[in-house]
Amino acid sequence: MTTPLRKSLLVGAAGLSLAGSVAGCAPTAQAGSTDLAKSGSTITGPYKDGTYSADGDYFSPNGGETVGVQLTLSGNAISAVDITVHADNPNTQKYQGEFKDGIAAQVVGKKLDEINVTKVAGSSLTSGGFNKAVEKIKSEAK
Amino acid sequence: MPYAGWSDFSFDGIGTRWEISTPEPLTSAVRQLLLDVVEDYDRSYSRFRNDAVIARLGQDAGSITLPVGAADLERLFRTLYRLSGGAMTPLIGKSLEQLGYGADYALRPLGGPLPAPRWEDALRWDGREISASEPVVLDIGAAGKGQLVDLVAEALLSAGIPGFVVDASGDMLHRGVQPLRVALEHPYDPSRAIGVVELRDRALCASAANRRAWGDGLHHVLDGSTGRPVETVVATWTMAATAIEADALATALFMVEPDVLEDEFDFSWLKVYSDGHAAFSAGFEGTLFS
Repeated sequence: MTTPLRKSLLVGAAGLSLAGSVAGCAPTAQAGSTDLAKSGSTITGPYKDGTYSADGDYFSPNGGETVGVQLTLSGNAISAVDITVHADNPNTQKYQGEFKDGIAAQVVGKKLDEINVTKVAGSSLTSGGFNKAVEKIKSEAK
Repeated sequence: MPYAGWSDFSFDGIGTRWEISTPEPLTSAVRQLLLDVVEDYDRSYSRFRNDAVIARLGQDAGSITLPVGAADLERLFRTLYRLSGGAMTPLIGKSLEQLGYGADYALRPLGGPLPAPRWEDALRWDGREISASEPVVLDIGAAGKGQLVDLVAEALLSAGIPGFVVDASGDMLHRGVQPLRVALEHPYDPSRAIGVVELRDRALCASAANRRAWGDGLHHVLDGSTGRPVETVVATWTMAATAIEADALATALFMVEPDVLEDEFDFSWLKVYSDGHAAFSAGFEGTLFS
């Protein structure tokens, strides 16, 4: 039970896209139909409205890095999300800048329990830091 | 858990988090079996343990005998070493230690970059037997996590469990009838996904430049006229019958053109480049959000 909020973010991010030629996506078809409660990963709300932020640390082959996560919650939904990665590695920073466009605009209004994905494949190192940050936010928002 | 009513068994192993999902809870005997499989693998191959079998090759040259699965690693690494012109090598370990990523996690470079020794000069690898003509640090990391996913899956099958998901923090194997929807994590923002793939009876593995920054330097190539990285791969995903192949190929895609790999391997791939465009093979069509 460590990642439900993160999962919701990932689904909320359904319409998000990379900068460049994969950009301009519409967040339509991905609204989740699976009820998390049914699959056993119930989100125990309600969450207080507000803006929350937390940092999570993770270790990568580049060394220690920090992910800053700021969430705005309203009506048990994420209305805004902002990710800051305080990467020491100049290459990481470079890439961060190129991929960061449009994060907040496209996750608006996705309900925490509208989740249709239960697994994530990607960089396991960064997700550890993100999960830590989200856990802090969840405890703050109770 | 991936499906309603399923049970998860989670543990830490080889430096990552594991989640084994099954329709019924695993018995304590099966849990112990899985933990033993993971521990055996770690004791054989860990770069971070002085008591690992491969550690003996680093202290002084000589010979070691590895578990049966070493023959699969040899075959895979040998092929990818050839296809990548030596860029993808299990002998990168010494270079990593030089850069500070050794067993002590010093994170302080010991000196300048050290090229990996050539396989044909330093290493004789024949199935389970490896001997080295000089002290070498063997790093099978490019395929090791995948192989361990396969070994855990084999253990589950041997225990009479036909349907399951083995997830080693994003590298995973699915067995069963009902497909598993898996988000493809954004290369630089773990709160986002760039697509969703339906996985069924296959392995899915990922590799990202932020984990491979030390691997080959390719993604650090900048265009001098713009100062921007161009056409460099920042993230890859692969699907194959086995996780060992999917894992190794996800790394290989950073160094080898997909069509070259396709001549030797049956797999699906997706590559995302630093300028944001993506390319993919059959098997990944329709997975990216649009």
